[in-house]
Amino acid sequence: MKISLWRKCSIAVLSVSMLNMGMMGAASAAIVDTSALIATDREADLVAIRTQLARADVRAQMEQMGVDAAAVEQRVARLNNHELHQLATDMRNAPAGGDALALIGAVFVVLLILELTGVIDIFKKR
Amino acid sequence: MAKRAALATACFAIFFCVLLSGCVARGPMISARSTELEQTPFFPQKRFQCGPAAMATVLVASGISTSAEALESSLYIPARRGSLQVEMLATPRGFSRLALPLPRNPASIIAELEAGRPVLVLHNYGLPFWPRWHYAVVVGYDPVDDVFVLRSGGKRRQLMRSRRFMIAWHYGGRWAMVVLRPGETAALDDAQSFLEAAAHFEKVASPADSHATFAAAVRRWPGEPVAYVGRGTAEYRLGNLPAAAHDYARALQLDSAQAGARNNLAQTLVDLRCPHRALAMFEGRDLDSLPAPLRDASIETLRGAQAAAAVTDDAAHCESFP
Repeated sequence: MKISLWRKCSIAVLSVSMLNMGMMGAASAAIVDTSALIATDREADLVAIRTQLARADVRAQMEQMGVDAAAVEQRVARLNNHELHQLATDMRNAPAGGDALALIGAVFVVLLILELTGVIDIFKKR
Repeated sequence: MAKRAALATACFAIFFCVLLSGCVARGPMISARSTELEQTPFFPQKRFQCGPAAMATVLVASGISTSAEALESSLYIPARRGSLQVEMLATPRGFSRLALPLPRNPASIIAELEAGRPVLVLHNYGLPFWPRWHYAVVVGYDPVDDVFVLRSGGKRRQLMRSRRFMIAWHYGGRWAMVVLRPGETAALDDAQSFLEAAAHFEKVASPADSHATFAAAVRRWPGEPVAYVGRGTAEYRLGNLPAAAHDYARALQLDSAQAGARNNLAQTLVDLRCPHRALAMFEGRDLDSLPAPLRDASIETLRGAQAAAAVTDDAAHCESFP
């Protein structure tokens, strides 16, 4: 029982420190990325934590949506903070370009509405 | 009674359609010249795979060797039966290319075509409340017939009346992007969005690609401090510290409040064995009021400079630095 508590604690500490490792910039020394000059968020600590959450969220949603597990890591790694936030909030509803064929469907629906409202008369037998 | 209700509905439907199409009324036509990028490759799409096909089209046109099939695993989302704009913009970065979203007007599409770059657009062929999204690539525009030329779906050369193009584009949120090589800037004069895209690119780009990108920005927009900071950081990563110092200093000249440029210049001066000069950069500056990443980096740089200054004088060559 004691060991398991100790384990839990060390896992917690390790995971927090790993999160922190991930947040460090890639550049050496204290050169800041040019993106730091453009980002306007003043609470960067908060942003970093939110980004970690967004990353986990996007990863989970992608797997749920049928993306191959092997590809998920690579796709998530490519995204910057802003993109991660966007996807995390909007992945289910954002426009997903897929096919041009549905145009016929749209025309059909419009015709059907016009038909039902009696404006046109092309579907009925004469 | 029922008939009257039906008539009212019909009137409303027609009124609604007219109203909607009114929103996208054609506007002033955009170019007198006819353009068509005939060399643009074509990747006929498989079912639901217009995202990878359109992306392959613009990437290959920009000199990358890839295919629609190769891009499927990084763009397609099975449950959505399509590809998302965010991932479309993120993909070129993995191929040493910059993705740039365009301003939401047709003039920007034409300008990019005239600069020789095909434009990836999102169309909506359904209705605003019943969308059917589709990615296509614009490769030409003909002002005489008023048609756009597209690589789209299974059609190598689809001609689309500009009115229809504009309606589908408008319902698609007027979203368009181009792929730029390192060293290219966009056709239209929009420094802010270019520098933003370049800053995202910097995080994954090689120092040489990053240098080419920001050097082009410096040439195009010599008054933009962020362009100099980007080029300076590329110089720093390439090991050209004196050149980096000069770029950061130029950025500070243009905007003395540019804390990122100040921090990077100070750090470069420390690396050049000029810690006293570096310390002078921070004199009278309130670091605590900076946004967090700049504050933390500046405090770290300041501490490093203090530690170095305590044990050594500035090297003789420091006179030549700003």
